[in-house]
Formats: sequence, C-alpha cells, structure tokens
Amino acid sequence: MVNILLAFLTGLTTGGLSCLAVQGGLLASSLAGQIEKDLQNSPPAAHKRSRQNPPPRSKPQLAKPILVFLLAKLIAYTVLGLLLGWAGRVLQLSPYTRAFLLIAIGIFMLGSALRMLNVHPIFRYFAFEPPAALRRWLRRKAGSSADSPLLTPALLGAMTVLIPCGVTQVMMAAALATGNPLQSAALMFAFTLGTSPLFFAVAYFTTQIGARLERYFMRFVAIVVLILAIITIDSGIALAGSPVSLTRWFNQQLTGNLQPSLVEFQPPEDAESSSQVITIQVQNYGYEPALIRARADVPTRLRLISKDVYSCALAFTVPSLGIQELLKPTGITEIEIPPQQEGSRLTFSCSMGMYGGVILFEDV
Amino acid sequence: MKKKITLQIQGMECPNCAMKLESIEDRLKGVLRAEASYHKALLTVEYQEELISEEAIRAEIARLGYQAV
Repeated sequence: MVNILLAFLTGLTTGGLSCLAVQGGLLASSLAGQIEKDLQNSPPAAHKRSRQNPPPRSKPQLAKPILVFLLAKLIAYTVLGLLLGWAGRVLQLSPYTRAFLLIAIGIFMLGSALRMLNVHPIFRYFAFEPPAALRRWLRRKAGSSADSPLLTPALLGAMTVLIPCGVTQVMMAAALATGNPLQSAALMFAFTLGTSPLFFAVAYFTTQIGARLERYFMRFVAIVVLILAIITIDSGIALAGSPVSLTRWFNQQLTGNLQPSLVEFQPPEDAESSSQVITIQVQNYGYEPALIRARADVPTRLRLISKDVYSCALAFTVPSLGIQELLKPTGITEIEIPPQQEGSRLTFSCSMGMYGGVILFEDV
Repeated sequence: MKKKITLQIQGMECPNCAMKLESIEDRLKGVLRAEASYHKALLTVEYQEELISEEAIRAEIARLGYQAV
C-alpha cells in the first residue's frame, strides 16, 4: 500500500530539489514573458522622477504566473498519474529519447536567453509566437487588455510532464505499481504538491532579488536561463553516454571526490565461474566506484547496492544497452550485461545525466 | 479606399508586443486588419483611407511605446 503522505514528504524534500534543476528552467522561461510585459507596461518616465517623490516601484507580478505554472504542473502530473494507473509503461521514454529531449529543451532555453539579451534578431525565433488567428481570438477573449500572459506559464507548467526528474520517475514507478488509476493519480498529486513550495520559494525570491536590479533585471533572468540551459544540455549529453560532463565534474568537486580512483578488477564470487560481478554502491550524490576496470568478453553482472538513497541516482541507466532500472531506496538490484569487447567503454548514469561512471573492459 | 502598409517596428521585446500592437484593430476606427510578427518585427495594417490616415496609425503605435520606421 503506497503511502500518500510519504509521497508528499518526498516531494517536499528531495523531489523539489531534484526536479528544480531541469524544470526550473521552464519556470524561469515562463516568468520571463511576464517580466518583459510588466517592464514594458511600466511608465517610461518613472526613472526620471525626483528622489523626494519616489514612484511606486513597479514590481513584476510574479506570484500569479508561478502559481499558474505550478497549478498546470500539478494538473498535468495528476492526469499522468491517472494514465499510469491505466497503462503506465507506455509512457516510459528510453534514455536516448530523454537525452534528445533534454538537449532540445536546453537549446530552446539557450536561444531564449540569447533573445532576452538581444544578441541577434535571429534568436527571436526561439520565442513561441501563437498563430495570428489564435492571437485574435485570445485578444477578443481577453477584452481590452490584449494580452494573455498566463498562457505561457500554463503551457510550460504542463510541459514539465515530459521531463520528469529521477525522484519523479521513482514516484511514477510507485504510481504504476498501484495498478489503480485513482490511487495512482492521488500519489502523483501528493508528490507534485509537495514539490511546489520549494519551486515557488526559489522562483519567487530569486526573481524578487532580481527585481531590485530594475533595468538589469531582464539580463539577470536571461543569465539564469542561460546557466540552466547549459546544465540541461550537459545533462542530455551525459545521458546520451558522453564520458565528459560538466555536471558530473561539478558534483565531484562538491563531494570532494576530485578524481575518481580506478578500481581494480573485481573477482567473481565463484572461482569456477566465467562471469564477473561488479559491485557499485549507489549513493545520494552518485555511484561508487565511478571508474571501473572489468574483464572483456565475459558475461557481467552489475550489483547495485543502495541504502537510504532518495536522489536521482536511483534511476539507473546504461544508455548504449537501453537499460533503465528504477532502484529501491534500500536494496540490492542485479543487472546482467552481455560480454563486451576489449577496449570498449560502457557509460552508466542516472536518468537525468547528473551522476554517472564508466566501465572499461580490458583483456586479462 | 482600402490601403495596406507594412511597417518595421522597433521596441518589440517579446511576443506579447505583437498582440498589443494588433489591438489597434479594435481601437482605431478605419483599421480593418492589423497583423504583427514579433519574429520579423513587422506590422501589417489594412485600413480605409477615408477614415484614418497613416500618420494617425503611426501615432497610435508610438503611443503604445513602439516606433514605426
């Protein structure tokens, strides 16, 4: 029986942090439209007024678009939970598809940031422009205001369903396991609701700090989007199997593990067995060891041991072999790997490309 | 008599500007159709010459905070 409260608490703690890295970019992109609109609507003479009578500061109205983004996200994930209860597995994306999606989203965010920085008119094409007929319809619907600034955060909030983070995937697997659409929807609702306070706090306070920078605010937002774009693209590249990744390097710096040591061959448990067993400790901050030497041309068994792990590292993938396994927070999972040729490198990572490692197959 | 003009617009910073500019269609008597493109920074206006002048349209664009060049 899945505990709804536990799902909420997971979202409130690790879920919010884990998902903010990727989905935060979409939220920042959606807020950018509102900020741009508010800055344009502020009176142009406002900066020229005297110090004695300072004008009421025109702060971008960010609470509403953030709430719309989060509400759309909540609805989208609840509907996803409902679908998972029904069909589930159909919606699971392969590691390469997810890598492609991450890179595509990262490029979109990068283009948006360069557009906001007015680097070149070509980057205007990175902004979604609704068709003229839809704009006319929206304008008439909205009346004299002529704007529909909440449409973008609503659409982007719903789009986050396409890029679930590792913890979300764990929750999706739990939702799938319920086999009950209502229970599954309730689980995803509770989890997504749990992630919302952190999303709101980070988005709101970050942008409020930026608002003080007034005319530099758009640049500030653009730079935040730019950084998130680089992280997103890097995660996609790492997930696609690249042994070099900025995110992993940064994680290694944070954890003080500057250069992962090369681990010697791990002997088979059974001396007569021709197969080998590679034991990997799954940690909240990655995998240990991250660089492993193994025998070529023999069947390999990966033994993944996790203990109280609640990070993205639970969503273990080997992209080149199409392996994706959602590990238990505490437990042992074994994965069989077919014999690999001498000199080949097998890259493994979490589903978002944040943590990973390499197995080097050598002749002994 | 109907007339159609295409103006290059300066000051369009986001797609919302296109909708804002197109609102002249609702507010100016004599403007039959206004279609803006944020991507191309263009505004195409179709209007009745007897009812409104190009200058009046340009003035309205300026009032909205943009410049037609």
